[in-house]
Formats: sequence, structure tokens, C-alpha cells
Amino acid sequence: MKRFALLLRNEFKLFRTAIPVHLIGIFQPALMFSLIALVLVTPTFEVQMEPPVTALEEQLFFAMKQVGSPIGQPYIDPVVVETSNDQEVQGGQIIRFERDAGRETAVQQFGLIDSNMVKNFRNRLTAAALLIWNEELGGDAITIEQEPWLPRDISYNVYFGMAMLPLAAMLASSLIGAFLTAQEFEFNTIIEYRLSPTSRYLLIGARLFRLSLTGLFSGLVLMVVIGVMTGTWPSSLGGIGLILLAVALIGSCIGTLAGLILQKTLPAFLVGLTFSFFTWIMGSAFGLSSGFSGLYEAVSRFMPNTYAVELLFPIYYRVNTGSSLQAIILLITVGGVLFLVTNITYQSRVLARS
Amino acid sequence: MGLMKRLWIIFKSEFNVWRHDPITALGGVIPPALILIAFALLFGGRLSFKIAVVNLDQGQMGGLLRQSFDEVISPLNNMPYYQALEIDLDGAMEAYQNYQVEGVWVIPQDFTHSIESGEEPNLKMDFFNYNDDRAKNHRIYSTEIIWHFYKKIGYPAPPLEIAEQYPRPLMVDWIPVIAVGVTLLSVCLASIFNIYALTYKEQISNMTLEFGLAPRSLAWVLVPKVVLALIFGLVSGTLFLMVIYAWLGYWPGNYIWAFWLLSGLTALFWIGLAIVAGLRSRNYMAGAIAIVLSAIIVFFIGGGLGLIRYHAEDVQWYSWLFPNTHAIDPIRDLVLFHTWPVDWDITLVKLAGFAVLSLTIGMLITVRSLRRMG
Repeated sequence: MKRFALLLRNEFKLFRTAIPVHLIGIFQPALMFSLIALVLVTPTFEVQMEPPVTALEEQLFFAMKQVGSPIGQPYIDPVVVETSNDQEVQGGQIIRFERDAGRETAVQQFGLIDSNMVKNFRNRLTAAALLIWNEELGGDAITIEQEPWLPRDISYNVYFGMAMLPLAAMLASSLIGAFLTAQEFEFNTIIEYRLSPTSRYLLIGARLFRLSLTGLFSGLVLMVVIGVMTGTWPSSLGGIGLILLAVALIGSCIGTLAGLILQKTLPAFLVGLTFSFFTWIMGSAFGLSSGFSGLYEAVSRFMPNTYAVELLFPIYYRVNTGSSLQAIILLITVGGVLFLVTNITYQSRVLARS
Repeated sequence: MGLMKRLWIIFKSEFNVWRHDPITALGGVIPPALILIAFALLFGGRLSFKIAVVNLDQGQMGGLLRQSFDEVISPLNNMPYYQALEIDLDGAMEAYQNYQVEGVWVIPQDFTHSIESGEEPNLKMDFFNYNDDRAKNHRIYSTEIIWHFYKKIGYPAPPLEIAEQYPRPLMVDWIPVIAVGVTLLSVCLASIFNIYALTYKEQISNMTLEFGLAPRSLAWVLVPKVVLALIFGLVSGTLFLMVIYAWLGYWPGNYIWAFWLLSGLTALFWIGLAIVAGLRSRNYMAGAIAIVLSAIIVFFIGGGLGLIRYHAEDVQWYSWLFPNTHAIDPIRDLVLFHTWPVDWDITLVKLAGFAVLSLTIGMLITVRSLRRMG
């Protein structure tokens, strides 16, 4: 144990040999979140319309103001614009009115070319026009009793940040692991490891543990940034720590393996980077995987991030999501298998060549 | 020795780097390819909300409402808004609690009766609101269903009809928009990684000192690296365009040169940044990591995932500090629509400004630090 502690101390001392790499690896995910969070989609859209003239058009203007979440934000910010040119569509879309033989039509004129934005604007106008129709129908109108899962709508930033926590742990541990390991070959300090009489499990164990703690630290930095920016904090710091530690162990193994196999810092870094971002996007980065296509959901079951997000979910949303045993077993198993693979690779790439 | 011969020798020796480190040379291909695959799986599949519909209605209206879920088509991917699964109430709630469905609609027993007698018919909709964007979609998608249902069952016409007009006969889905963003990312990453690959040997063998002592201008060292990194960036980008053509059918055609020009100028900006760290041994890898991660962040904040021309007010000020934000929509015009960007001139001026500024400052700092070491 004492030997392990000494090895661990030595591993932490390596921080001094690569301070900028550590700082970037640890803080870059938090920086990334804070920049992206400001441009993430919000439910409120500015919807432009030409000045209402008739009572019905006035009614549409006020209906648009009513469209929104009863426990969250409005969905439409109606903006009245005067345009001299009928073909000019600034801001992506404008609602113009056609009056023909007593019938009025709100024509949504698009300048847009992407279907996602068209969908968003269309839905909002339909919602507002339906309010007017329902008012006219009176008792015939269908009411939808909304039963949202949580007492209030939670900002997308919270989910996005929560799903980035495993990325932070993975990125820091894999990048730094890849860099430190490959550097041993480039500077030929790997010879010290070859000559070491210590068990390889202790050597690799100390490195992976130290890298995992680094990854955990990066995740905790991001957690603080999420908390400060959104006001949402996890219910269990210990729970977060254990989940991120498991993810960081996987990242540490991937980074160390890349360093051991490629023995050059640049390609090893590339492997850590690619692995981290791929597993992030595929691992429920933008929403729970069940909310996307079947193929995405199927592939996401192979990503450690998916299980980490499932475990983080009840901690952030304070809801009981049933048994987490499968996710816990899977993360531990993947970490354990990768630990063994890293040891075997260390044996073949370092010790067997002495 | 002739100028051309000297240049050729330099280029040839630089080419050898790629043979020795093919993985890094593919730095602009591997990460963007996987990012594109991930986004294709994420947004390219069926984006309909998977919900359970529990139809308890004893009349026919519940069935008609159920049909509406399949009949109302979203412009996004031309698929229905909902993928409605008919499950019994217990099964539906269990699936909902296990995150297998996004929501549950319950059509009550007296639905038909209350519609026919005008007794305020109602439905119950359970749905996830763990993120406000998806909650918003649940609420406003449901209005599309009800609007369609009213028309289907022959309710009196709405007081205000709605209609749509589009600027072009063609509309693009999310994936082509993202794919062009990833293509620009590929050009930038390939240029950055190749600058680092081309300076790696110098770092490892401490040749930067020799550069500092060189009697000739350091432009002989730097310019070939810049040109080769740029070429590799453009080759990677073109490779991505070919993939997009084979997969989605979009190709810039005669405007390919304009694509090369815009993306090349964007890449030069990143090359200017990369070369500063690429030839400074102390911060070599830190620089590489920082610049590569920055390029990826800029992909996310600079229009990589969506059009920004119509949402310029939502783009944060820091995004405009990078050429990618200015270049991305004109490139989409060229690749997706074969149309000449309306803001071509101003975009070209801006991108040239970014490139010249970055390369000039980058080269000056690099030369200065190399000479100081020498």
C-alpha cells in the first residue's frame, strides 16, 4: 500500500511536466459548456407578423402571446414589423394576412430553407390559431389536460450540462493519459518503467487512478459551472463522484492504451479526442437515447456515457428512475475489462521489450 | 539550385512525414467522420416522438384521433410528429416510467359522447419535461394533431385559416445542414493536425534550434508547411463532400472552386494559430490540444449544427471572432443549393482579413521565437 502511495505521488508530480496540457484538459469542457449553453435552443421564438388590421388579426396577436408553457416560458414573442416589400422575409419568416370574401388566412411566408426551423414556426402559428378556433368552438373544443413529469419545465442547459459531465471526465483522463504515456516513449523515460521491479498492476494502477482522479476533478469543475449558470445542483455529490470516477477510469484506460500502442503524442491525443466526442454524442448527449431513432438507441447502449447519464439523471432531476443496477454493473465491468487490457498491453509494449 | 528544385526538395521531405504518421495526417478525417456518423444516427433517423396512445373510447372518435397521429406529417424529415404505439394503460405507464416512450395520451371512455354532445371533450397527456425544448415540442405538436382532427371530423372551419409560402421548392433536412458544418470542421482540423504533424519531427529532434540559426529566411521552412497543411485540409474537405454526395446527393458542382476558396481561407486562419504553438517546443502539445478543441467548440457555436443567417441575433459575439461563423452559410448556399451567396463579397473580404491577420501574426511570432532560440 505504501508503495502504491509513493507511485501515486510520483504520478501526481508528473503534473509539473505538463501543466498547460493538464489545465486545458481539465478546464476545456467547462469552457465549452459555458460557451455552448448561451447559444442552445430556447423555447421562445420571435415570430414576425405584419401589423394586424382586423379584429381577428388582433386576436391572433394576443393568442400568440398566450402560447407557452404554464410552468415555463412563453413559446412566441410576436413582433409586428412594417414591410414595404411583400417578398422580403427578414428573420426567417413573417406572417401576412390575406382577406378574401369574408375569409381570413394567416400566410406564413418563409425565407428559410431548413425543415427544422420551418417546423418550429409552423407549430407555433398552429398553436395560436387553434386557441382562436377553440374559443369559437366553446364547449365543443377539445381540452388537453397536461400532466408533465416534473412540476416545472427544466432548462435544456441542465440536461445538456449533465450529459457533458461524463465527457469532461472522459476527455481529461484520456487526453492527459494519452499524452503522458506517449511522452514516456518520446523522451525515452519508458526505460525506467522497464527496469522497475514493481508489479505492473501497481504501476498501471497508480497511473490509472491518478488519471481517473484528474478526470473526476474536470467533471466536478463542470458541475460547479453548471450549478452557477443554471442554479441546478446535484442531490448527491458522492453519487456524482462515483459515476464520474467510473467513466474517468474508462477514459484513463483508453488514453493510456493509445499512448502505449501508438507511442506518439499526436496520434494518441487524436484517439482520446475522437473516442471522447464520439461516446459523448452517441451517449445521450442531446436527450435520453429512447427519445431518438431505434438505431441511435441501439448503438448508444454500447456507450459508457449512456449508462452514466442514466445514473446522473435521478441525481439532477430528483426523481426515482427505478433500478440502476444494470448501469452500475456495466460501467464497473467495462472499467475492469479495460484495466486488464491496459495491463496486458503494458506487458507486451513495455515489459516484454526489455 | 533553382527555386523550383529547392521547393520540390522541401515539399518532398515534408511529404515523408505523412508516410511515417498516417493517423495524424488523417486528423481532419477521423474525428469529423465519427462526429458525422454520430449526428447522422442522432438526427438522421426517425425523429418522431415515441408515445403510447391508450384509446379507451367506446365510440369511433378515439380511433379517428388515433389515425391522426399517423396522418399529420412534420416538415422535419417528412415523418409524422409522433410514433404512436397502442398499448393498454398499465403497459403505457410502465413504458413511460422506464423511459421507453416520451409520453402517454389517454383518450377517455366518453370521448365520442362528449364530442357529439358538446360537453367539453378532453384528453390526458403525460409527457417528459426534463428539458424545456422537448416539453415545448409535446405541447405544440399536440396542437397540430388537434387541428387536423377538427378538420377530419368535420368541425366548422376555423375563423382564421393558415397557409405557408416557401422561397425555394426544395427544403433541406437537418443532416445535410450538419454535414456541411462537419465538412468545414474537417478542413480546419486537417489543416491544424497537419501543421502539427509537419512540425512534430522538429520538436522531437530539437531541430527548432537549427531553424533559429538558419542563414536563410525562415519562410523557406514555414511556407511549405502552410501550403501542405492547407492542401491536406482541402483534400479532407473534398473527401467529405464526396461522402455527402454519395450519401445525401449534395455536391457543389461548378462552385467547387468557391467552396475551396472559402474553406481554404478559413483553414488559413487556423493554420496561423497552429503554427505559433507548432514550432514552440514548450507548449507544443498544449497548443495542439487547445487549438483542436477550440476548432471543435467553434463548430458548435459557429453554425455547425444549424443555419445562422436567419438567427444572427442569437449568435453570441464571441462566435463572430472566428471565420467559420462567417463562412458556413455561404458554403451551404454553394453545396446545398448551387446558388451564389448573396453575401459573397463581404464574406470573402472578412475571411481574407482573418487569414491574413492570423498568418501574419502567427508567422511573425513564430519567426521571432525561433530566432530568439537560435
